[in-house]
Amino acid sequence: MAQVKNWHLNREMKYPYADNRPKKQIAYIFDTNKCIACQTCTVACKTTWTSGKGQEYMFWNNVETKPYGSYPTQWDVNLLKQLDGQEWDKTTGTYKGKTIFEAAEKGENVKGWHPTDRDYAYPNLGEDECSGNVNKGAFFSGIHDVWMFYLARICNHCTYPGCVAACPRKAIYKRPEDGIVLIDESRCRGYKECVKACPYKKTFFNEVTRISEKCIGCYPLIEKGEQPRCVQTCIGKIRMQGFLSKPEEARADNPIDQIVHIKKVALPLYPQYGTEPNVYYIPPVHVPKEFLHQLFGPGVDKAIETYKNIKNDKDLLGAFLLFGNTPKITHSYKTDGEFTMGFDEKGEVTTKVPLTEPVFVRPFKNETTGANHHNIP
Amino acid sequence: MKKIILLSLAITTSILLHAQNGVPITSVKVSGIPARDAKSDIWNNAQVSVIPVMPQNVTNPQLLKASVANVKVKSINDGNKIAFLIEWTDSTRDATVDVDKFSDQVALQLPLNPDTVPNFMMGQKKGRVHIIHWKAVWQDDIEKGFQDVKTAHPNYWADIYYFQEKNADGTTTAAKDATVDQFKSKEAKNYMAGAYAGNPMSIFDRKEPVEETLAEGYGTLTTQEKQDATAWGVWENNTWKVIIVRSLVSTDPLDAPLVKNTQICFAVWNGTFKNVGAKKHYSMWNDLIIAK
Ligand code: SF4
Ligand code: SF4
Repeated sequence: MAQVKNWHLNREMKYPYADNRPKKQIAYIFDTNKCIACQTCTVACKTTWTSGKGQEYMFWNNVETKPYGSYPTQWDVNLLKQLDGQEWDKTTGTYKGKTIFEAAEKGENVKGWHPTDRDYAYPNLGEDECSGNVNKGAFFSGIHDVWMFYLARICNHCTYPGCVAACPRKAIYKRPEDGIVLIDESRCRGYKECVKACPYKKTFFNEVTRISEKCIGCYPLIEKGEQPRCVQTCIGKIRMQGFLSKPEEARADNPIDQIVHIKKVALPLYPQYGTEPNVYYIPPVHVPKEFLHQLFGPGVDKAIETYKNIKNDKDLLGAFLLFGNTPKITHSYKTDGEFTMGFDEKGEVTTKVPLTEPVFVRPFKNETTGANHHNIP
Repeated sequence: MKKIILLSLAITTSILLHAQNGVPITSVKVSGIPARDAKSDIWNNAQVSVIPVMPQNVTNPQLLKASVANVKVKSINDGNKIAFLIEWTDSTRDATVDVDKFSDQVALQLPLNPDTVPNFMMGQKKGRVHIIHWKAVWQDDIEKGFQDVKTAHPNYWADIYYFQEKNADGTTTAAKDATVDQFKSKEAKNYMAGAYAGNPMSIFDRKEPVEETLAEGYGTLTTQEKQDATAWGVWENNTWKVIIVRSLVSTDPLDAPLVKNTQICFAVWNGTFKNVGAKKHYSMWNDLIIAK
């Protein structure tokens, strides 16, 4: 076991392989506050990659309703139960508990659990259910009594993948060029060690080909400078994909760096697992903090505060307005007070979005046609 | 105190075993090999060697608890082929393909160079081993037909699969009843990544429930290009009996030579206890004496 630096945990941790960060690290930002659970992303992924025999039960992308939704069933709770004492030092942001690598049992590299076929049978379990019953006579007074939110999930293309750590054949690898984690489909022998080890349960066993498969980060698109299918098709424009710099090399003009490293408004999901996942979430603003702390770590309060104040932070607002406005990968951006502009790797403009949407007032009566426009905003 | 004595006894035994190269197996000369018949009288010509197996506890992921104590091995040869009848107690027959199911398996291992026998656990760099590996799931694929999703989940449903081929009479089978042989084109295989990549795990029309591989250390198992071993397994009375047959004199330079006496190891997996890959029972090297 090597000692590696995990910046999510603000400390070093044990990992089977030495630190070897890729040249670029694929990263995503998902704004949970904007997701409407339309599942367009899920279907886009399904039709693109997992429509074959043996893939029937697979959702490389899924969207579950928290607190009760989970696919596979209880994917998170089952592991959290086994990782006791997930304490953080709130002042330093250092994780004091054990990661899945540190908590591994004798003879294993990773602490994991193996889902059964039943666990995959209810992908919409708990969908649209809120945390509790709505009391008779309840009304909204600024804080919701009950709550729920949608959590969109894909493979996190972790910096320290649990799947990679568990595979005895080294059939899973992290691409040095972009950090995408792939299973070598000619090398895998279907031992399912990765299925047990991935804390996010994002590797899947194919019963027909009898080997494992996982999200490939739509690498053919990435190689063309385009964002993955789940990002491009997102109805709610909740997603952006780009590349995240190492913390010490964060660039203010990289929208991903701006949101993750500089403003720290997007946070990793279950950072305590220790894999340094690379999907970063804007936490939902209306959910009890205790729940969010467990999901996203100690940065939650600050992140929500910053997010709520976004209209006063032009740089941050500019980065957010790039979401869903271009199929291209934005490598850098510029905000000039009126517009935010995204640029690709060559510096060519990928999108130009106004910071404030212009208001058009349409007259009540159309003088040309004589029609009255009412009831139409 | 008792523990210490037991421990030193165990150490002495293992050293002794090592000096003798395990439990010798003699392959007796017979005429005709009953390649698929474990009950044939011909096997009575051979002596049983009881080979102890231990849980793999050297490299991660490990098997911490043994569920098989030994394999009973008989060997015969007819001057052309050599056969091994490997028997072990297993109260459950595990041959189901599913996300949380694991197969019963057995493998035998021979050194490519019998003069410098490598590490008993899958060999080492410059010390290659030839492994012949039988799996119960493959046995069922051949005996009962390829195990599809439907085999384990009879009520499963599928609306459509892309690129499913039409039947000879021009009709199309409903997706839920489609079989793997209706997906032969390159486009169809694109949705079966393992098959597209030519992964030896993703063979849909297997002829023998066995695979010949090479290894030179942990995690290096590689399928041989030339597959000529055969095998057959029967599970009865809480016991697996698996026959593995290969050529005595092989023209394949990647097959371990059996021209003179050599050594042999075994590995067993018990599916019920989620044995798979490195989570297996192994034996040390044993002398293999080939009567000609
Ligand atoms: S989310 Fe799971 S499958 Fe994806 S890289 Fe991390 S450990 Fe591997
Ligand atoms: S497409 Fe976007 S809005 Fe719709 S469920 Fe997926 S992430 Fe949410």
